[in-house]
Amino acid sequence: MNYTTKLLAALAMSVSVAGMAAADGHANLEGKTIGVAVVGTQHFWDREAFNGAVDTVKELGGTVVPVDGGRDNQVHADNHDILLNQGVDAVISILGDGAVEPKFEALKNAGIPVFTVDHQSPHAVNNTTSDNYYMGTTIGRYMADAIGGEGKVAVFNAFEGALRICGIRTGLWKYVLQDYPGIEIIQPELAEEFANAPEDARKKTLDLLSQYPEGTLDAIHVGCWDQPAIGIVQALEEAGRTDVLVTALDGGPDTLEIMAEDGSPFVANVAQQPNLIGSTAARNVAAHFAGETLLPQTFVDVFPVNGQAEAKAAYKELGYGSLD
Amino acid sequence: MTAAASPLRRVLDALPITVFVLLFIYLSVNSNSFLSLPTLELILKQAVPTVLVSLGLATVIIAGGDDVVSGGIDLSIPATAIICAAIVADQLTNREATLIWGLVLAFGAAGVIGVVNAGLVVWVRMTPLLATLATSVAVVGVTKVITESRRIGVTDPTIVFIRDGQIAGIAAGVVLTAIVALAFWHLVHRTRWGMNLQATGGSRDAAQISGIATNRFVVQSFLLAAFTGWIACTFVLARGSGSSPGSEENLLLEMVLATFLGAAFSPRRVVTVWGAVLGAVLVSALSVGFISIGVNVFWTGCIKGALILLVVASAAAGRAQ
Repeated sequence: MNYTTKLLAALAMSVSVAGMAAADGHANLEGKTIGVAVVGTQHFWDREAFNGAVDTVKELGGTVVPVDGGRDNQVHADNHDILLNQGVDAVISILGDGAVEPKFEALKNAGIPVFTVDHQSPHAVNNTTSDNYYMGTTIGRYMADAIGGEGKVAVFNAFEGALRICGIRTGLWKYVLQDYPGIEIIQPELAEEFANAPEDARKKTLDLLSQYPEGTLDAIHVGCWDQPAIGIVQALEEAGRTDVLVTALDGGPDTLEIMAEDGSPFVANVAQQPNLIGSTAARNVAAHFAGETLLPQTFVDVFPVNGQAEAKAAYKELGYGSLD
Repeated sequence: MTAAASPLRRVLDALPITVFVLLFIYLSVNSNSFLSLPTLELILKQAVPTVLVSLGLATVIIAGGDDVVSGGIDLSIPATAIICAAIVADQLTNREATLIWGLVLAFGAAGVIGVVNAGLVVWVRMTPLLATLATSVAVVGVTKVITESRRIGVTDPTIVFIRDGQIAGIAAGVVLTAIVALAFWHLVHRTRWGMNLQATGGSRDAAQISGIATNRFVVQSFLLAAFTGWIACTFVLARGSGSSPGSEENLLLEMVLATFLGAAFSPRRVVTVWGAVLGAVLVSALSVGFISIGVNVFWTGCIKGALILLVVASAAAGRAQ
């Protein structure tokens, strides 16, 4: 089975699994007002997860109260107070750091169920997320293979301690690298900014390259997402250092396009399905109101992307268009 | 005898208030819950950090005059609040120190920022706008060094009380902020020191001729501004349950808007302590109102920016008249 066939099969399976929550026909959101809070809509992933949730709530007959944090975690957290004040029937909360936890607790105490996306919380009914475990281990293997199992690697890792999903992804990437004693993670690790990640990563990469001249740095990995990778690749091209390989996670169309370029240093990624994740969260809300018992987490399939050819295939199969 | 205000001046004076009244009517009509007690409580709670930093900015403007370029302004107060929050969070969570010790260190940092600002403005004679902008950039950089651009969560019971607790049935953060605002009002508007501060900002030359050591009051205003940043840090920590990088940008926007908006609501169109408090509450009300009716967050930022232009332009045009 070639990569495209595997991808299509996995896509079909993940769509059917995601649809199971409301498949019995009586799970709908008619008469319900659902708050959908997203940390920001500037980035593809956030926007798609948000659109998936909003569209599905509407499709299931519900009314949406959308709130957008503008890529500011504090504003995102505060927006939950507004949803509480508006007395919505349920909240879908997409991303966010620890600042949202007291807000989730307040919503729960007010009898408003919280459904999170990419944010595990003891106060949430359910968290819909990608298979972060698979993402972390797969990107670890791909990166190790790409540099021949040895070399120096820098990692952008701002969120390992702040977001559980990042803890899983980066933690398992490091776990895999334990089996490659020839790979050294450069210390201190780098920390990218949340709001201006590509430009911030570009500057930090240029600084890094000045510290590590040609032949002394083999790869740069982004531990939890791929927006910084855009700036990293820019910096490598500016400095003429495309021998340094780049790996990251998320696999949005912008980074798949970079991977698909000839001679791109961006060699491995794991693509998620943010629209399906948001949509699944909305279907879980409907299932909850239909009396179904949900598992604490719903996992949505991811698609490893290893190299230029797979980037082109994933781009096409995920519906972003054609890069041929 | 004073000359009657020209029609243009009257229009410019009334414009910010008119725009705000229209905005509030629009929000009240379009949101069922906007005019309700729970919303008022939410507005006050979300206004807390902005109120505190606006008190500091109001003090600096009162001492330096309300000309945005040549008068008093301090853009580094939000950055001061954020670095103090980062220091306290780092001490509490990463170094297992006490809240008191964290606050002591943060107080020292705020003091340094206040002294640097005062020195740049009074002795180096930089314009406050540029001096405090430069300080703000530097402070944000140091904050990133302290936090390594990472969030630091805080669960200290005092911080949690400020976030969730109540005093006499009212949110603790709101009550404590009201006490600080009252203290500032008394200091700036009801003491001899405050009268001299206002005289310094009203006319530096006249104040000097009257024997007021004007530089001393400008220095003290920057130190007080840094002090408000320090006070605000505990409320910033409470609001976010920790220190999050990047929080200073929104706080800066709201502080400037709130302080100059307050002036538009004062009878003499000058910056006052109560004006700043009212401005901060109105800015918070706008934010809550816009979000409640589903206005895109980018439009909200755009509207706030336009309002800053409106109130500052109105004040500038009023002076020119």
